[in-house]
Amino acid sequence: MSNETQELPVMVPMRPMTINWIGLWTIIRREWSRVMRVPIQAFLAPWISALLFIFIFGYVVGGRMPATQGHKYIQFVLPGVLMLNVVNASFLQSTSQIYFQRFLRYIEETLVSPLSYVEMIVGSLAMTIVRAVVTSLGILVIGVAFGATEVNSIAEFLFWVVGVAVIFGLLGIIVGLWANNFEQLTMLNVFFITPLSMVGGVFNTVSMLPGWLKWIAWGNPFFYFVNGLRHSMIGYSDGADVVPIGVAVTLGLMAVMGVTVWRLFAVGYGLRE
Amino acid sequence: MTTPAIAISHLRKVYRGGTVAVDDLSMTIEPGDFFGFLGPNGAGKSTTIHCITGIAKPTSGKIEIFGVDAVKDYREARRLIGLSPQEFNVDTFATVTQIIEWMAGYFGLPAALRRQRTQMLIERFDLTAHAKKQFRELSGGLKRRVILARALVHDPRLLILDEPTAGVDVELRLDLWRYLQELNREGKTILLTSHYLEEIERLTRTIAIIAGGRIVREGPKSEFTSGAGLENAYLTATGATPEHIAAMGAR
Repeated sequence: MSNETQELPVMVPMRPMTINWIGLWTIIRREWSRVMRVPIQAFLAPWISALLFIFIFGYVVGGRMPATQGHKYIQFVLPGVLMLNVVNASFLQSTSQIYFQRFLRYIEETLVSPLSYVEMIVGSLAMTIVRAVVTSLGILVIGVAFGATEVNSIAEFLFWVVGVAVIFGLLGIIVGLWANNFEQLTMLNVFFITPLSMVGGVFNTVSMLPGWLKWIAWGNPFFYFVNGLRHSMIGYSDGADVVPIGVAVTLGLMAVMGVTVWRLFAVGYGLRE
Repeated sequence: MTTPAIAISHLRKVYRGGTVAVDDLSMTIEPGDFFGFLGPNGAGKSTTIHCITGIAKPTSGKIEIFGVDAVKDYREARRLIGLSPQEFNVDTFATVTQIIEWMAGYFGLPAALRRQRTQMLIERFDLTAHAKKQFRELSGGLKRRVILARALVHDPRLLILDEPTAGVDVELRLDLWRYLQELNREGKTILLTSHYLEEIERLTRTIAIIAGGRIVREGPKSEFTSGAGLENAYLTATGATPEHIAAMGAR
């Protein structure tokens, strides 16, 4: 250690705690730094996956299909593929962020700091939203290459991307707090998210489903997410009521899950001994 | 009457599964004190520290940090504390500079001050040559320095050190002791846990011994070091038999 007596800079006198904006920004900076350790996994992988889906299903197969509800099939399928990747990116970002902090125990750095639970949650979600938006922008660029990108309403588009990112970001936090091993971390994705998203209208309209399966669509939140995004891009959804119901479902889920996550942080579930 | 740096009243911590780690612990640490917290493994030292700092939730009891309730006003209380924990609770892929600077950010230090304090602490702990290395690349002694620098970055009024010299070489231990004494002379309150009785004896002014989740003896250091010595006082307080103590003395 240095033996020289060094004057450390005088500390700013402490003011009463309000919003810790610097702390919140630090959570976001830190998480960006962590994501940028694995940029290929974080960004390139979903873009390549989307490219393959769009090429095979949209271009190769879709090129031989008649128009779907008045749109080329590739234009129909692009929003579904985009939503699929928004869901995956958000869930993966959130689960890995919380779980690795717990696994390596550096979650304690936030626990001993003067960050409120809301600041911790918002900081975590901010990076989830960034990753979801960057992923979706990349997929839009891919869609341009196939002449499939069309965005009717940017505001509506952002509502669906950000709203769904928040929902799956919050769900990811819950799973990240609950999981005690890597297998548990991926279980929800394997058995719930991926199957439901696949039957949520990514590749098909409700009318294409067999009769006995149609009712499942109406109870599947992914159905509303995909249709909502599709409506924002090509102006089509599987029914006049689908988008308004979808908005209500999205806002409702955001509120319920937001309160749930806040409560989990407050009681220290998965965080505090 | 001055406000205690730490005032713990009837702290109780029961873990899931029913283990009682801390059982009706009450303790007061005066501001500016250098307080030694001794006890055998599993006695409740780290659990007490975790309850003070927010890593663990107390089952019952009250903890105040300079008069601020550590649970109800947790944000204010945590601003006052710097913790150097026993375990390395660090993102091992982060660099030395990042670890210290991020902690400064969590405590709300503006960018210029963060950079200044991070740089000063890196220099003070001779970490300059390692500033850009990832934590996992460092030796145990260097890791300890990083943990200590991280605890000090926001200039806390209360510094809690949980076995800060475990695994550290003699030279670094002596350097750390000198530095801690300097910090204490500057007015910082320090709570130190250690298994090295020499360290407790050299640095602290007040000592408390915990066993079975309770304080079994507490008082000025002189009460422990007079007579048969700190080791004997410790062994007696923690329930060692006279034969065991005699055997230790014979060695």
